[in-house]
Amino acid sequence: MSMSLTKVREHRTIIIVYFILFVLVVISAFSSEIFLRPRNMANILRQAVGIGLVSIGQTLVVLTAGIDLSVGSVISLTSCLTAGLMMGRNSMFLPVTALVLAIGLAIGFMNAFLIIKTGISPLIVTLGTMSIIQGGALVYTNAAYGEAAPLLVSFAWGQLGAVPVPFLLLVGVGAAGIFVLKRTPFGRHIYALGGNEEIARRSGVKTDRVKVFTYMLCSLTAVLTGLFLAGRMGMGDPLIGAPYMLDSLVPVLVGGTLLSGGKGGLSGTFAGIFILTVLSNALNLMGVSGYWQWIVEGAIILGAVAFYEKR
Amino acid sequence: MRPGKGGTPGSSLHGDKGTAVTANIFEMNGISKTFPGVQALDKVDFACVPGEIHALVGENGAGKSTLMKVLAGAYRLDEGEIHVKGKQVSFSSPKDAQVNGISIIYQEFNLIPELNVAENIFLGREPLKMKGFVIDNEHLYQRSKELLASLEAGINPHEKVKNLSVAQQQMVEIAKALCLNADIIVMDEPSAVVSGKELESLFRIISSLKKSGKSIVYISHRIDEIFQIADRATVLKDGKLVGTVCPKEIEKSEIVRMMVGRSLGRTFPKKERGEKKEILSLKKVCRGKVLKDISLKVYTGEILGIAGLVGSGRTDLARVIFGADGFDSGEMLFEGKDVKWFNPKTAISDGIGFVTEDRKTEGFVGCLSVKENLTSLILPEISKWGWIDAAAQDETAEACVEQFNIVTAGLEQEIQYLSGGNQQKAILAKWISAGPKLIIMDEPTRGVDVGAKVEIYQIIRRMAKEGKAVIMISSELPEVIGMSDRIAVMHEGRLMREISGLDATEEQILMMATGQVKENGTDHVHESH
Repeated sequence: MSMSLTKVREHRTIIIVYFILFVLVVISAFSSEIFLRPRNMANILRQAVGIGLVSIGQTLVVLTAGIDLSVGSVISLTSCLTAGLMMGRNSMFLPVTALVLAIGLAIGFMNAFLIIKTGISPLIVTLGTMSIIQGGALVYTNAAYGEAAPLLVSFAWGQLGAVPVPFLLLVGVGAAGIFVLKRTPFGRHIYALGGNEEIARRSGVKTDRVKVFTYMLCSLTAVLTGLFLAGRMGMGDPLIGAPYMLDSLVPVLVGGTLLSGGKGGLSGTFAGIFILTVLSNALNLMGVSGYWQWIVEGAIILGAVAFYEKR
Repeated sequence: MRPGKGGTPGSSLHGDKGTAVTANIFEMNGISKTFPGVQALDKVDFACVPGEIHALVGENGAGKSTLMKVLAGAYRLDEGEIHVKGKQVSFSSPKDAQVNGISIIYQEFNLIPELNVAENIFLGREPLKMKGFVIDNEHLYQRSKELLASLEAGINPHEKVKNLSVAQQQMVEIAKALCLNADIIVMDEPSAVVSGKELESLFRIISSLKKSGKSIVYISHRIDEIFQIADRATVLKDGKLVGTVCPKEIEKSEIVRMMVGRSLGRTFPKKERGEKKEILSLKKVCRGKVLKDISLKVYTGEILGIAGLVGSGRTDLARVIFGADGFDSGEMLFEGKDVKWFNPKTAISDGIGFVTEDRKTEGFVGCLSVKENLTSLILPEISKWGWIDAAAQDETAEACVEQFNIVTAGLEQEIQYLSGGNQQKAILAKWISAGPKLIIMDEPTRGVDVGAKVEIYQIIRRMAKEGKAVIMISSELPEVIGMSDRIAVMHEGRLMREISGLDATEEQILMMATGQVKENGTDHVHESH
């Protein structure tokens, strides 16, 4: 009895976010008859992929008490390079994918390296690298450019029955993330680092190594989002990632992960991802302007974080 | 098993070597460590045999913690040698010391609150399976359960550390040390955070660890505890070794004498007083667990010294008087008026000043200039229509700098770049210029060089002479005795007794502060005039 009560208290945040998601779905279902149709559901799942992938990486970074503002520019750069180098050739699909993934890893390594070596806060470091990478993308092309390989396009638009193929990627990455956080030493050390870096170090956690891997994984998820967006658009866009710089934080925060690190996790982020996509979809269906969506989104972030901070 | 010989007070550890029955598990020889301006350790020798509880005692600042931090690899030593299990070692990090079987349990625990007990015990050394990719949770919880059971701790390994009591967290720390296979466990003032029943069970565990052959270094300044559990006690004073003794062979007062006994210098001004009238009176004031039935009278024209160990409630008392904290029951009269200040602001406007212990975070605004800091409490007086009168501000600040002999490159200098002594003088000047009737000073000379100390003592005495009431909290007994007209000693939230500042001795105060003299709240000794 008392055990289950502690369990409830322990998972209170998760219970609350999933309850909010549930209420949102019910309200949406009542306000629009289109909402529950399979086609619209598939649409929501596909929309969740872009924001979802990158916010999984962002969750890991935030758990270490860090932040990665460079993800938006990594998405933009990936989108341009992918379309620009593939130029509609399936033969280039694998080499280009490998290349952009490698670039992502390099950027993540660089972010962590600068944070560790200079001692500058992650906010400033990634703000700087964000600007550099964004500039790089714009130097490469200052307008929509290139053509994604048909393989990538069919991946982005593919359906497996009622389920969009890219959604399976999101589920796979998410499941891998949860496994890493819950079951591996690396995952536990992410929490320890966010809880108290000095104590973690004194306990023998290789804190620098944990940081390097975390930022590399985060950039990697940004590259995956960039690849997906390039496939969905069919071409590259040097500014497509810009909104993700801050948007990638929204599911993390709404999902109950604290910006101060050490507390939270991916199951909350998952709820956060769907709260956002369902909200945006429902408001669209109701014919509410996109600007209003911003206002509602902002209110949800403030409400959620104020709620978590209180406890 | 008892170590061979305790030695008489004053004899050094070297005397031990000849008669030692068991080889030392570790030895520290001629350890010296200097911090800028302080010789923290001066050629100290210290050693332990297996299965021994060795107390390390001394006053605050005697060098106990520094010595243990050197042993644990947290500090590099300047001079001396450390041998562990017969091998000479040189630790460059806490990890090195851990590998050699040394674990230290600090007063601030090294636990991550958001992780659970078992995760904390094994943090950084998780048992693995599946080729080292995955944590072996089964083993982790099983082993944690065994460790906690061996300590009879009754703690659920799945519980998050943040939900544990301090005493339970201490058990987790011990489990962590055992999990590291430590042979030498250093405990830094464990009794500072637990007491009563919890302390008894801690002692039981320490004794059983001893039986299993572990060596325990027990840092404390509480004499009773040392006599209760220690096989030997090494006394440090001012960074120097006083001697190693066997508590069972000597009197308590002997150790107290070893800890303190030093002569007072001529640093203190003559005890001249101002006009005396009662200004503040506390009757049976209680606040939670930190203040119990405090009754106290404060008079103008004199200095009331408050002595006691860290955590005895001295600062809590000051905060209650200043209105920074409230109190649960009791009565506080200021100038005969019943007051229950809601915040420091009302206390300040009623004429109370508070020079806090930690000047960097509570005493001044480091990035503002000397003059802005000096005038921060009197802005209304130097303002017209809500605008600060620059000329009046400069004038006031200049007067302060001159009167209090504050050495600064100029009024515009950021206060954080002043020396500790000058910062402290500036803070005193700031409060005095606000014209308080009662001023409370918490450790007014902490981190201040000797020259500035003397100046600060003169400033404090001058205030009393001018008819202000002064309350001075200090951990330095010579300072309390040298400065105070009356001394109130606190122990675990209670006011033990008031004594006259004229004939008080350090031993007398320390006996009361460590709870060896029965409390006697009503029997205030009023000093002769």
